[in-house]
Amino acid sequence: MMGSVNEDIRQYILSEFLPGETASNVQDDTPLRTSGILDSMATLRLVGYIEERYGIEVEAHEASVDNFETVGAIASFVAGKGGATS
Amino acid sequence: MNRVPEPDAVLSRPSPMDLYLTEEQIQLQNAAIEFARSELNDDVIRRDHDETFSQEGWKKCAGFGVLGLPVPSEYGGLELGITDVIAVMEGLGYGARDQGLLFSINAHLWTNTLPILAYGSEEQKRKYLPGLCNGELIGANVASEPDAGSDVFSMRTRAGKQGDRYVLNGAKTFVSNAPMAGLFTVYATVDPDLGPMGVTAFLVERGTPGLTVTRGLQKMGLRTSPMAEIVLDNCAVPAANRLGREGRGVAVFESSMEWERGCILANYLGMMRRQLETCIEYVRARKQFGKSIGKFQSVANRVVDMKVRLDTCRPLVYRIGWLKERNRPAMVEAAVAKLYVAECLVKSCQDALQIHGGYGYMVEQGIERELRDALGSTLYSGTSEIQRNLIAKGLGIG
Repeated sequence: MMGSVNEDIRQYILSEFLPGETASNVQDDTPLRTSGILDSMATLRLVGYIEERYGIEVEAHEASVDNFETVGAIASFVAGKGGATS
Repeated sequence: MNRVPEPDAVLSRPSPMDLYLTEEQIQLQNAAIEFARSELNDDVIRRDHDETFSQEGWKKCAGFGVLGLPVPSEYGGLELGITDVIAVMEGLGYGARDQGLLFSINAHLWTNTLPILAYGSEEQKRKYLPGLCNGELIGANVASEPDAGSDVFSMRTRAGKQGDRYVLNGAKTFVSNAPMAGLFTVYATVDPDLGPMGVTAFLVERGTPGLTVTRGLQKMGLRTSPMAEIVLDNCAVPAANRLGREGRGVAVFESSMEWERGCILANYLGMMRRQLETCIEYVRARKQFGKSIGKFQSVANRVVDMKVRLDTCRPLVYRIGWLKERNRPAMVEAAVAKLYVAECLVKSCQDALQIHGGYGYMVEQGIERELRDALGSTLYSGTSEIQRNLIAKGLGIG
């Protein structure tokens, strides 16, 4: 399950924020927030996507660098929230 | 000798020639044109000079159904599809000379009524939508701040949670409809450190202690649409009046801007069409050097450019209707429409003025007012520069 969540989030980031980039350029540990790939507005959009996709609610303070710095961290956060793919 | 068709025959062709509207939509649009011509054009020059909002015009628009065009009938609206709404707005822009009144209607509709419809609780919808549709309640969008304009989400107005209420503190500016509004959609942050994730929307009723409409703002154009600043000083709002989730005000705001950017310029399609017809009529009738001035290419080219702009603007606006009716995202398309129509509008108003020469410069002609009104369109709902940024982002290069 985690693997598919990682891939799903990676694909969303690539299609929405890095069109034209190859998937290998966004590894599970590639910095997203501190590198500027995800700015605050992009993070907000990603949060909206994750909420809808995995049926979870993300509180404002949870969209922190800790939880949204890498694809791996985001996937762990979703798993911790009990998110399920439809 | 070629027979020259009358302007109306060229520009107001019946439905088979209109690529965007059905026969029913054309009838709807024609009804809007007649309504606007007969009910909304009294004393516009004086009201523009005096910066007077037409309460009477507002009530008439409510009676005609304009204020609730896209709202479901159970909340007091006409429940029209968005393309129908655009068609009506285009008709109003064609028939009405009071672009300020139409601007106020757009601000009311897209940044108050629609957000409540989209994000409001059932209780909020039942409480506010009927009044917003029947004209008793005028809505105002309260987002911009002195230091948060294009960068609106850097706002400083705070919303402190205290039990079952939020206490708002801050100063807002450029609030259209503020002097006569009964309901304010206010954006504030619950925590500036959260950035856009802290922005939250609230419905604040006029008369709420701590909300004060302060300095009225004089404008270059759209002068019949009053604007003012607002101060929020320990303004306590029940948590039940939060619009949408805490920290999701950006979604509310972006949604309203998408609607506004896509649809606010529908009025101007009508105005551009009317200006074009007026200019064709004028260049045929006006004679200099022994012939109609339209026979001079330098004049005719301006009219041609106005026609090309109108014909290229219409599809961009009606595309928004097509996308919205299919629940498809339209952020980039709305920005494209807003950017292009606004810039074309200004150029066409300048052409109309130049074609009329000294007469166009006179207040009584109304062309100079329409140019002043048009200039605002490259600024409100995001400047042309911001629209370009949005489009670049949508293309993955911004």
